[in-house]
Amino acid sequence: MTTATIPRPLSFAGAPPSAWAFGVRIWVAVVAALAASFWLELEAPASAAVTVAILAVPTRGGALDKARFRLAATIIGVTAAIVIVALFSQTRDLMLAVFAAWVGLCVCAAGLLDGNHAYAAVLSGYTVALIAIQQLDAPEHVFESGMARGAAIAVGVAAIAVVNDLLAAPDSFPQLASQLVALHRGVRDYAKPVLRDEATDAGTAAGLLRDIAALRPEIASLATESASGSIRRAAARSTAVALVAAVHAARALKAVVAATNPAMDDMIAASAHSPASAWASRESLRRISEVREGLAALNAGHRPLCVWRMPLYRSRAIAAAAGLRAAACLVLASGFFVLAGWPSAEVSLSLVALVIGLGAVSPNPQGFTVAAFIAAPIAAVLAGTLEFLILDGVTEFPLLALALAPFVIGAMVAATRPHPMVASLGRLNLIFILVILSPSNPQSYNANSFLFVVLFLCTGIGLLLAAETLIPPESNERRQRWIMASVRRDFELVLSKRDRRLAPEEAMFRDAARIGQIPASGASHRDSAVLAQALSYFDRAAAIRLGRDSVARLAETSLSHLAAEAEEALATQDTQRLRDVSLALMHVAGAGSALAEEISGELTLAAIVIDAARHAASPAMEAVS
Amino acid sequence: MHSFSELVVGDVFVAPFVVYAVAALAIFFALRPILRLCGFDKLFSNPAVAQLSLYVAILGLLTVAF
Repeated sequence: MTTATIPRPLSFAGAPPSAWAFGVRIWVAVVAALAASFWLELEAPASAAVTVAILAVPTRGGALDKARFRLAATIIGVTAAIVIVALFSQTRDLMLAVFAAWVGLCVCAAGLLDGNHAYAAVLSGYTVALIAIQQLDAPEHVFESGMARGAAIAVGVAAIAVVNDLLAAPDSFPQLASQLVALHRGVRDYAKPVLRDEATDAGTAAGLLRDIAALRPEIASLATESASGSIRRAAARSTAVALVAAVHAARALKAVVAATNPAMDDMIAASAHSPASAWASRESLRRISEVREGLAALNAGHRPLCVWRMPLYRSRAIAAAAGLRAAACLVLASGFFVLAGWPSAEVSLSLVALVIGLGAVSPNPQGFTVAAFIAAPIAAVLAGTLEFLILDGVTEFPLLALALAPFVIGAMVAATRPHPMVASLGRLNLIFILVILSPSNPQSYNANSFLFVVLFLCTGIGLLLAAETLIPPESNERRQRWIMASVRRDFELVLSKRDRRLAPEEAMFRDAARIGQIPASGASHRDSAVLAQALSYFDRAAAIRLGRDSVARLAETSLSHLAAEAEEALATQDTQRLRDVSLALMHVAGAGSALAEEISGELTLAAIVIDAARHAASPAMEAVS
Repeated sequence: MHSFSELVVGDVFVAPFVVYAVAALAIFFALRPILRLCGFDKLFSNPAVAQLSLYVAILGLLTVAF
């Protein structure tokens, strides 16, 4: 008998070596950014260090992509700050109102975007706070302040880019490829119950679609990583789109097996009995092979055979509500500071805008504010320890660099932990420690200003938390209603052929992204019903688009009259008529037309999917209404 | 002696190094499709450092030549 031992993964203090390497990289980058800023005698060296903390992403491509957007958004933010100050510097209250409106607009724009695009939108908003609002009493210095911040950000970006390159930060694509492989496995597992005719639940399908659509921002950031980055991005996009199409194919197969013979428990036996089943299983295998081709192209850095885009879906209503709420929270906080009449309250207000902005791009904005509220006092204690106990008046740069090491590395190791709260606390702590410490040359070691900054930070975040409690976000039910209204509206456009000109697979991906936006855990009866209804529309829209795409090939042939009839049947979801057209095509196929046989199979499949989706939607409709 | 002239944008002086750095970045990105066709990433064990070195080489050439 032989025994095998499973080697334990290497770890130190509970964290893997990759997390420690990430921490060390960020520490080196922070030190390099500070050294360069001090050497160049920049006015805001702390901004360079904070830039590194904000761009702290474990992969090289992710950090470079974020840096690109950070530079662009800073230019937009500085321009907006100059315009706002030029127009409203004489009317403080009006300027604060315009500033709140600008931040609201930026949060709304972030709601319509994703990934680093959304981050750039909120950064454009809070840059105005850091430049215009912090110079509220000295508007003539806005330009210099903007230039100083821009220079510091450029130094921070250069520092993290060079350090990531020299210290061999991992590339994004191997990690992304492994995520896509895991999803591929998930899709095949989802298809397995179909083969055995077991019940598949809407939650599993919606979860898969949500996970696939959630990779969109990571895929977009592949382009900056290497010379072949844009090719790899195209391959990853095609793989993700093919995965969504594979989920649809698996659901279509399930519908066909159920429709062909409900008692049949073997898909292969079913396929022998029906041309639609044979077509559905062939379609499913084709989608799986498309995923495999995409993965191979991603790993090899080759252009994929099918190049698909990944259209984004965002609810305008949800984005507008988030923007209005952000503006209202900022107006409440500004009103409080104006009434309180505290000196230097603009520092606190700019921190409120920063937390609103960063919260808007996090999955749970309210949770982010709570994390910031917890992180602020922890960061204050840590920054105080660093400044007054460890450094305590030293002026040598190497000592500052050494003293920063445990704080930066510890925070970054915490940021890589799987628990979302611990990860948020780690990331926020590093940003807050650098903001409170505000490294400068020479360091002032002024306890008075330290206490003021801590007080402003804690007051600002506490005030924001109070404002967010007073103005709660819209409920999950309302969000579900808004998204379902958009689903129905878009489905009407599909029926009337007025939808966006996208390939059927691309449109499927957009629908999958919308399903991913539905706030539903699937635990409650209502959540399951909403997901079932959304999936029903997803299936029908995909079947109609694929059906249209295939009958379009008959347009220039002698069977164009059948193509027109099939088009009408698809537009009215008349499944009986679709079956009749399919039969007519089968007769032609008997005369040796392979194309007619293929399209006949596709139309029968579309009819079965539409019937099954309608059948699944009717109880869900009752449950939701 | 090589003299460096500042770029003046609406009375704002931009340091010559910034102009060189941005121009080198633009040239570097313009070269990327050619690098991809040459299989640049496959020529080096650490393509990231090779790309950084290429950028520094372009920046150095620009600084010396103009």
